[in-house]
Amino acid sequence: MSALDPARRYFSAEIETRPREELERRRDETLLGDLLPWAYERSALIRETWDAAGVRPDDLTSMDDFRERVPFIDKDAIRAYRDRHDDPYGGLLCLDPNDASLKKVFSAIFSTSGTTGDPTPAPYAGRGPSFLVREFWELGCRPGDHFLHCLFTFRGPNIHDTIRGIGATPVFVDHQPEDVPQLFRFSRELRPTGWYTLSGPLVMMIEAAAAELGEDLEDTFRSYSGVVFAGEPIGPRARRRVESWGLELFLQTALGDVGAATECAEHDGCHYWEDTAFIEHLDPEGTAPAGSGERGELVSTTLLDKVAPLVRYRSDDIVRHTTEPCDCGRTHGRVWPLGRKGDEVVVAGVSVLPGDVWAAIESVDETAAGLFQVIRPRREVDTLRLRVGYATAGARSLGTVRTQVTDAVHEAVGVPPDVELVEHDVLLRQGPPHKIPRVAKA
Amino acid sequence: MVFAARYEDPPVVWGVGRVVVGDEVRPWPVSAADIDDETESMATRLAALGLGDGGLVLIVSLLSEAIHVAPFERGAGRLGARYSSADATNFDAFRTVSLVRQLRPAVVLGVNGRVCDGIADLGRDLGSVFEQVDAVAAGDADAASRLADDGLPTARWQRVGPTSAVSTPGAGALDYDADRWLVEDEAGELLITNLAARLTPCDRFRTGVAGRVVEPGRLTLG
Repeated sequence: MSALDPARRYFSAEIETRPREELERRRDETLLGDLLPWAYERSALIRETWDAAGVRPDDLTSMDDFRERVPFIDKDAIRAYRDRHDDPYGGLLCLDPNDASLKKVFSAIFSTSGTTGDPTPAPYAGRGPSFLVREFWELGCRPGDHFLHCLFTFRGPNIHDTIRGIGATPVFVDHQPEDVPQLFRFSRELRPTGWYTLSGPLVMMIEAAAAELGEDLEDTFRSYSGVVFAGEPIGPRARRRVESWGLELFLQTALGDVGAATECAEHDGCHYWEDTAFIEHLDPEGTAPAGSGERGELVSTTLLDKVAPLVRYRSDDIVRHTTEPCDCGRTHGRVWPLGRKGDEVVVAGVSVLPGDVWAAIESVDETAAGLFQVIRPRREVDTLRLRVGYATAGARSLGTVRTQVTDAVHEAVGVPPDVELVEHDVLLRQGPPHKIPRVAKA
Repeated sequence: MVFAARYEDPPVVWGVGRVVVGDEVRPWPVSAADIDDETESMATRLAALGLGDGGLVLIVSLLSEAIHVAPFERGAGRLGARYSSADATNFDAFRTVSLVRQLRPAVVLGVNGRVCDGIADLGRDLGSVFEQVDAVAAGDADAASRLADDGLPTARWQRVGPTSAVSTPGAGALDYDADRWLVEDEAGELLITNLAARLTPCDRFRTGVAGRVVEPGRLTLG
């Protein structure tokens, strides 16, 4: 065991700045030589999908073969397998759950947030810090510091083990409105430097509690060097508000259920780690690569997870993507999350994602929290219908608010919306604590 | 989730949790050794609830309860069992319902009144949600009475200062580890003293829990 040097720039310098050719050589070796044969032999869903496509691991000798021949899977395929076979792991599990020698490896089962339906069980392998140590180090948190761990239970112990992995001590706080006073208190008394995570709904809760308790947020939060903001994107107005408290936000986005991608201090895209995942950026309606800088669907393949490996998993997430090196010195790819494919509506030929109307809705005082849903009975609709949450305290007449929101959205996307106003709680009740469903069928 | 790193410089303090006494929250730092030691006790409690090799316990809790919950999580592993997690809130009750259906746990630990409310909001009754579960350990008195009213095999989990006491279904008393903790009652309140070394020691600490010690290792609530 060696003590961590607080002055080191990167947590894992050799990996984080690895030359691209080396990243790709290792990726190809892992994927073609190890992960794919393993997954095909052991995962019932992968084997079933590949057999239907007439593909075997022996057929794949290059990444060109992989791109041309390996079939895709998605959440619907996993759920369908789960329902057909009464298998909670959706045919992904590569280990015999009854194998006694593996019980220390496969110790628990966590679950996805369940925003879009039933939570999907996720087998949890091992114990100890994850590769997120690299992100937590980038926040500026160092050995001996306190680190605010503000989350839920259903993600498992990965985060607090990872906080300890950079030598810091987790301070446990619930991602719930009733625990915000303790969040303030622990921030003042223990002066943590890192915080995982902040979300849009939590920003609202903090504002409300601060107003009620007379909390000076700039002073309360002055020790933090970095805060991970996760769950969904943050609008520009909310970001300015949080930054006025003196917090530096590091946005994090999901990486197709094989990990996460997080901003570095340059705040120019979210880094993912190419030693842990192979990411493709494809035409959302097809299989061809999307161009650099264009909207494309994130398709993920794990390089590490041999318990329940995802291979060519169509995430439904629309991103911009680059593998150009970042100014921070890291060489790994970056993504900019734009929204979810299943959230897109096309109104009179105009494509609209929730992110396209976010800033407009935030720009009106009563709807500044950015709580809204796009009503999406189907992808192509005649009218852009929005359900927008408003703050009741001090609100002007609803007619005035509705007109302002309508005009702002019309100007932003070129389509006049039909706006339904509801109280914040109506929307907050629909989501996990850190986000809400951004589309609704009705 | 996958793992790529090892501990290079782990902190002395495993985490700062809390002990709640009435309305007062006390920050409560614990060490990794504390968690390991409590794990021994909680593995015994889980085994008494019927968790065994190859089984699964669903733990319904909050992250702020981490210092009480981690010993159960690890205790499951000591028994050759696995665990899963859901939040003890009315909103996250849908997860408890879904995971019970999908994973068929032998034991569910920590269902409280809020979770019962959430299950009712989903239009479900407790009896149908937990009918296949061998033991449901309620996290508060409200849930205990509602689960029992639905004819379920209801046990009780109670945090007593920094440790836990757990009953088995139908038993009137809760078991705690008398080798590691001295629990006394005074004027109807449970007081706790650590007998084994702990990072945050306590000496006749007033827990705010109403109860009575029946004999060393057994207590009743109320």
